[in-house]
Amino acid sequence: MHKVVIPIGPQHPALKEPESFSVTLSGEKIMKFSARLGYNHRGIEKACEERTYIQDVYLTERICGICSHSHSTCFVQAVEEIAGADIPKRALYIRTLVGELERIHSHLLWLGVAGHEVGFDTLLMYTWRDREVVMDILAMLTGNRVNYGINTIGGVRRDVTAEQGKAILKAMDTLEERTNYYIQIATKETTLIQRLSGVGLLSNKDALKLGAVGPTARASGVDRDVRRDDPYAAYAEVKFKVITDNHNDVYGRTLVRVGELLETYKIIRQIIKKMPEGPLTVKVPRKIPAGEAVSRYEAPRGEDMHYVKSNGTEKPDRVKVRAPTLANIQTVAKMLEDRQLADLPIVIAAIDPCFSCTDRLTGIRHAGKRSKSVLKWEELHAYSIRHYREHGIDFAELNKKMRKALK
Amino acid sequence: MGLVQKIVTWSRIKSPWIIHFNTGACNACDIEIIAALTPRYDLERFGVQLKGTPRHADVLVCSGPVTRQIKSRLRRIYDQMPEPKFVVAVGTCACTGGVFDGCYSVESGIDKVIPVSAYIPGCPASPKAIIDGVVKLLTSLEDKEDKKK
Amino acid sequence: MTKEESIQSELVKKFGALEGKTRIQRPRRIFTEAPPGSFREIFEYAIQKLGFVVLSTITGLDEGTTLGFMYHIAREDGIMLNIKVSVDRNNPVIKTITEYFPAADIYERELMDLLGAQVQGLPKATRYPLSDDWPADEYPLRKDWKKSTGSEAKNNA
Repeated sequence: MHKVVIPIGPQHPALKEPESFSVTLSGEKIMKFSARLGYNHRGIEKACEERTYIQDVYLTERICGICSHSHSTCFVQAVEEIAGADIPKRALYIRTLVGELERIHSHLLWLGVAGHEVGFDTLLMYTWRDREVVMDILAMLTGNRVNYGINTIGGVRRDVTAEQGKAILKAMDTLEERTNYYIQIATKETTLIQRLSGVGLLSNKDALKLGAVGPTARASGVDRDVRRDDPYAAYAEVKFKVITDNHNDVYGRTLVRVGELLETYKIIRQIIKKMPEGPLTVKVPRKIPAGEAVSRYEAPRGEDMHYVKSNGTEKPDRVKVRAPTLANIQTVAKMLEDRQLADLPIVIAAIDPCFSCTDRLTGIRHAGKRSKSVLKWEELHAYSIRHYREHGIDFAELNKKMRKALK
Repeated sequence: MGLVQKIVTWSRIKSPWIIHFNTGACNACDIEIIAALTPRYDLERFGVQLKGTPRHADVLVCSGPVTRQIKSRLRRIYDQMPEPKFVVAVGTCACTGGVFDGCYSVESGIDKVIPVSAYIPGCPASPKAIIDGVVKLLTSLEDKEDKKK
Repeated sequence: MTKEESIQSELVKKFGALEGKTRIQRPRRIFTEAPPGSFREIFEYAIQKLGFVVLSTITGLDEGTTLGFMYHIAREDGIMLNIKVSVDRNNPVIKTITEYFPAADIYERELMDLLGAQVQGLPKATRYPLSDDWPADEYPLRKDWKKSTGSEAKNNA
């Protein structure tokens, strides 16, 4: 049969990030798949060498906006190891807490995107609505929805109060209830099961050979989790199960991620209960003594690894980042072998790719009027009502009519 | 202005179609853009709809400091959009380069490559800020139309 | 004897060249420096006999007169062995390890692009991660590479 090569990306409706793939097709069947990465390459590793350690904490946080805490924690752990700093227990617990909250928001985000890729947009809207619960918690704890800036070399920058602890526990109850609902969807909804089963197969052997990490590997029966195998922060002191699955397909990856959500709620409850009193930071000198360290972290997408080499100055000699997607992207070609072209978006989405990580090495102003105002939520609400009223739509009237009609 | 033109302009302001393009961002702004489109913030109530192709879009929403590899692609996408077109730079990186300013592989700001109509700073720009920015852009279009009359 | 110590003594016993060059930095972290000649042998031994079956990544280092390549490999129980091999800066030739870890392909391409390593046995492919218009003999992660040369090239491009 005649072969056709289709370029996909860097801008393509099926891609959320700029990467380019070249797919060789025979009919609808994928014969060959190759990727050109690097569209997000910013040169962060070099930039880290040109900045001080404390600046690098914020820079590594911006390697990826979804797993920002993973990267900054991974970096500070390496620096603290070189400096020989003994981090207070409470700081480690807070790091773990934020890390797990990040996992919740990332997994919910993925669930929505996966739903979107298979034409189940209702799921996208549901999960992203629920995700706002955890975004509110993160904003309350750290002051920002994304890029939390909670880590610093030697500890954390903000404390968690008792009231915040209560609010977190309450949010966990809400989220657990919602997650159970998603588990019900995932295990009972026939259309979803049929769309995801057998798609993007990656056998246990291939997962091991190609070095898959995170939920992608665990869904192929690879029982690896840095949190358990190489514990950091407070993970040695909490109990949790590592979720694995033997479906080897996108369906299995969905089950693993949803299952991990439930484990994460358990971890967070233990963290809040056990959190010890004490200081938040220890003093670490501005100049880090010469040395090197490797730090590993289980990010939502899999193992994240930072290597830091210092030379006794206030700037690192070398920072190397290995983000989880770089390990997983190489499994995609295997997953797509002999599959239908229509499976491509969900298979790529199923490894939860984050090309910003992979390529790292990397008030409102208005163009016309220079106003700097930021609308408050109530103002925005009022604005939307006004906006519609000005255009002849009044929901207040409509609501009244509706109520009457319902009576 | 003819009646047809009036209807076209009216509908353009009432329902701008946007395309989102990541020009080397860290994903933070991108997820906030999506968050702005989902139930809590619901940008769609202003008629905004996310489209998959530049040929259907009126507004190009960019996030990220423009990497060297993406530069020519960004320009090509901009060229593919039909006139009149507007560009919104979301996030500090897209406005000025942000933390990545000076890195060897970035251009430091969308406006170095294509003209920008609105800047929404923030790291990342919160969904509220994105909504406000988009609404302000739409209002400014309305103002321009009024002046023409 | 801890697991780390037994790995260390086994390595030193088998390869005399590692004597005094292997250190345990903390639980689960072993660093070692292998001479270029016997690197492959040591690497293979670690994978096949000592159970280091996970390749985390390869780090490229600019050490002045030499270029260092650090292979981070890990065991299932979390112990990580970091083997560094240093080669001449003017002739930075290393052999690919894709026969042990097919996934190493992308890490090695990164070394080629960013540090100018010459990896033998890697098939031709598009470059990663630098842009298509990047000048051929500029390696941004080398210490003597300055951004000014980069921006000049940028203006010329």
